Amino acid sequence: MLLAVWAVTLATTIPLALLVRGAIREQLGASVTAGRVADGADADWISEFANGATGLNTTFGPSVIGFAAVLDNASAFMEGVARPAAITATAVGYLLLWTFLAGGIIDRFARDRAIHSDGFFTACGLHFPALIRLAVVSSLVYVVLFGQIRPWLLDDVFERLVRNVNVERTAFLIRLSMYAAFLIALATFNLLFDFAKVRLVCERRYSALGALRAAGRFVVRRPLGAAAVYLGDVLLFALIVATYALVAPGAGPAGPSMWIGVAISQAYIAARLWVKLVFWGSETAYFQGTDWS
Amino acid sequence: MLDIARNYSPMVGATITQVTRSGRPSFAQGGFFSASIAAALSIVLLAQDAPRAPLAPHIESSDGAVSPARSPRNANYTIEAHLDPDEHALRASEAIVWRNITSKPTSELRFHAYWNAWRDAKSSFLRERARTDPATHEDDEFARLDITSLTVAFDAAAGSAPHDLTSAISFAAPDDGNADDRTVMVVPLPSAVAPGESVSIRLSWQARVPRPFDRTGVIGNFYFLAQWFPKLGVLEEGGWNCHQFHATTEFFADFGVYDVAMTVPRDWIVGATGVERSRVDNGDGTTTHRYYQEDVHDFAWTTSPEFIEQVATFEPVDRADRAPHGRQSPVVIRLLILPEHRSQAARHITATRTALDQYSTWFGEYPYDHITVVDPAYQSGADGMEYPTLITAGTSWLVPRELTVSTPEEVTIHETGHQWFYGMVASNEFEDAWMDEGVNTYASVRAMLDRDVKSYYERRFFGGFVPWVVRDLELARETTWDRLPGYRRTPKSDIPTTPSYRYSPVGRIITYNKTALWLNTLERMLGWPVVQRSLATFFERWQFKHPKPDDFFAIVNEVSGQDLTWFFDQVHRSSNVVDYALESLTSERNGSNFHTEVVVRRNGEVELPVDVRVTFENGEVMTERWDGKDRWTQLALDRPSRAVSAQVDPDRVQLLDVNYTNNSRALAPRTSEAATKWSLKWMAWLQDALLSWAFLV
Repeated sequence: MLLAVWAVTLATTIPLALLVRGAIREQLGASVTAGRVADGADADWISEFANGATGLNTTFGPSVIGFAAVLDNASAFMEGVARPAAITATAVGYLLLWTFLAGGIIDRFARDRAIHSDGFFTACGLHFPALIRLAVVSSLVYVVLFGQIRPWLLDDVFERLVRNVNVERTAFLIRLSMYAAFLIALATFNLLFDFAKVRLVCERRYSALGALRAAGRFVVRRPLGAAAVYLGDVLLFALIVATYALVAPGAGPAGPSMWIGVAISQAYIAARLWVKLVFWGSETAYFQGTDWS
Repeated sequence: MLDIARNYSPMVGATITQVTRSGRPSFAQGGFFSASIAAALSIVLLAQDAPRAPLAPHIESSDGAVSPARSPRNANYTIEAHLDPDEHALRASEAIVWRNITSKPTSELRFHAYWNAWRDAKSSFLRERARTDPATHEDDEFARLDITSLTVAFDAAAGSAPHDLTSAISFAAPDDGNADDRTVMVVPLPSAVAPGESVSIRLSWQARVPRPFDRTGVIGNFYFLAQWFPKLGVLEEGGWNCHQFHATTEFFADFGVYDVAMTVPRDWIVGATGVERSRVDNGDGTTTHRYYQEDVHDFAWTTSPEFIEQVATFEPVDRADRAPHGRQSPVVIRLLILPEHRSQAARHITATRTALDQYSTWFGEYPYDHITVVDPAYQSGADGMEYPTLITAGTSWLVPRELTVSTPEEVTIHETGHQWFYGMVASNEFEDAWMDEGVNTYASVRAMLDRDVKSYYERRFFGGFVPWVVRDLELARETTWDRLPGYRRTPKSDIPTTPSYRYSPVGRIITYNKTALWLNTLERMLGWPVVQRSLATFFERWQFKHPKPDDFFAIVNEVSGQDLTWFFDQVHRSSNVVDYALESLTSERNGSNFHTEVVVRRNGEVELPVDVRVTFENGEVMTERWDGKDRWTQLALDRPSRAVSAQVDPDRVQLLDVNYTNNSRALAPRTSEAATKWSLKWMAWLQDALLSWAFLV
């Protein structure tokens, strides 16, 4: 299953990567610079490329090197940095794919035994309509969280709180507390929607709202257990990110060592995908193993 | 609280004594032993000087006197200012003795009243700022400077009766005619001031200190007060040069002697231009600090109870590359650093010493024997600014160990370097900002990265609080930070000869980046020794004067022994861009030889001589010079080996070239390898981005 979701992720991103590759090819032309940037990194070339970039290509910059990529995305996620339309559209498609796969994945975890692809995709198709309805509800909540709560916390409240602060570390602590408040709200709803998906699939529910209410009852009755499962998964995620911070490949030369770097970065992507599966697996197991009625 | 430590300076090979004093009681980091010594010293100092507040135990420096006089000293200020922190207000009396050093009489005086730029949103400054920052301003962001009385006495030496001219004050807007702008104050005189004659001016005024605005103001208990007093413009042969305060400009003033007494709450630390001559406890919870400095053209000060004071010395050493007139005496460095940056104190001091060492060696003497480095508070907006004998540094709470754009070194070295190009060579920043900012940008980065010091690309994440250094991206000295990318974004924003106050909002790119780039080009054309001698000669001849651009160009021509007008015409007197390109390269067998043809094209309007270099498979390299004037040229070569590549401007002399990738061609380019490598990195970035969002499903 991990291989499948990794392949899906790869397939989703390859077309855009080919577009960026084409733009880099075009910009480099037959220049000697191509050899230099094949062998390493060149800040002037990256800035020259960035100066002429439009659309998708504006996202190519120093932040694609090593662990900067993770920080860039995490920071953009928290700060609400807009991405070009091509990436936003791809992200929407990718989330829809996950919504489709969620039924099969959770069904597989619920059965706790191997199922053939027929069974997997049957489950995907069976639960997709309800999961889509749930996705609509969750999207509305996330739109409010990201569109209203986040800017309110990080722009309005933060700006008001730090307006007369003249110590940077104090301002940073305030910002961290804003992040924490937002992440707690986000995690709470995420946990709720996760258990709604689990109940929707495990109990073959058709009503998204019904599944959501049932998930709410479950979480309210087992708040510590549900939170512990969720936090355990979060810690696992943090461990993987921390490990990648130590081994993330730099610019490096083209050739065999480049492919080692690609393997490391793809191993990191696979590990993140695995954590995503662990989230659903552990939540499914916790739901199934709990006498909550 | 005192803390004495020993710090070894590898830069100048000197042992440095540091003395630390804090405005607030705090325990020294040195532990019980050093804390005990500090406490004992405190007691001794208090016992010796009561009831005066204890002076910081400075390492010996002068009292602000400079002998013999270096400047005309024709604008001399004595100011007594009282700061009221509760009201965020200043009340002051000011006495100016001004002498007309032109050959023509003047029948009026013109003053800058800079703080009126934030009197209301109708000022020229705020109208200009609104073009790029339309934010509305809250009440505490506004300031004002109100003159309550002004008298002028002629023949100051004879003590003639003063004329009360308070009611005659009016405001002018010589730059844009904005009737609502009150940053230039005009005082008509009852009779003209003849050449060589002096007048004595007395003013009383009060001002409201704004929340930080353009490097001045208050935030919390941190005050930085710059351009804070009514200040005379510069009388030139053609009349008063007294521009309004604009959003894109800095300042211009005559040299003189400043004697300034500042009254602030007791125990607040004060840092200011010059040297503290006295400190008097007024018995009412305030202390008056009197600072004095000769041969300067401005006075800025700061105060806060939070400062930690560290004092060190710069001891010059003999260097073979010292300019003939570059003698240098030791300089006392006084660092006022805030608690959250205390761990970076050594970096600030080392950077200041680096600048003092390099500039005094390369360009000439720093004559003041002291400099104050102020660590500005977060959100004070006072970062990175130069004032005579005082600079503001700039750093963050979290900074990398490596040298990057956010670390304290660059800004500290740059602002210290301004003591030469701004402080002493006092060009007109309103009109020719490139003469100090551009020249100093070139020189300060050179000073910083001169000794195999490496700088790296850095990005800051999470609201700018968290730094990350991309160690794979080492930055070149000539193009470091945003020099080249910034210029490439808007290379035509302004012609550099345009008066700086009329620059577009992005004009600083021309002031700083373009100037530094073409100076680096000049260095690659003429060599560093010639550029160094040019700048040293420029400094020697124009220190304590007001040079114009042509004075600079004439010296470069003289020192280099070349008429470089063609170069200055293109890089300074036009906004044209440089773009040379290697259009085609072919190399085919022709009998026993290979016939190689190279076509080079000039895409930009700038015409500069460039080298064209062809490299062959057998390792042979041929370089030919092209005058770069035609739109294109062709090079035909018959050599025993096939060409591998060709490059125009292979040594990257023309740093203003806006597209350097097109300067070369290879017959077997590695484009696919490079594109694959970088697109795979980008793909991993995209996958990580998608997974961040997949968290929500």
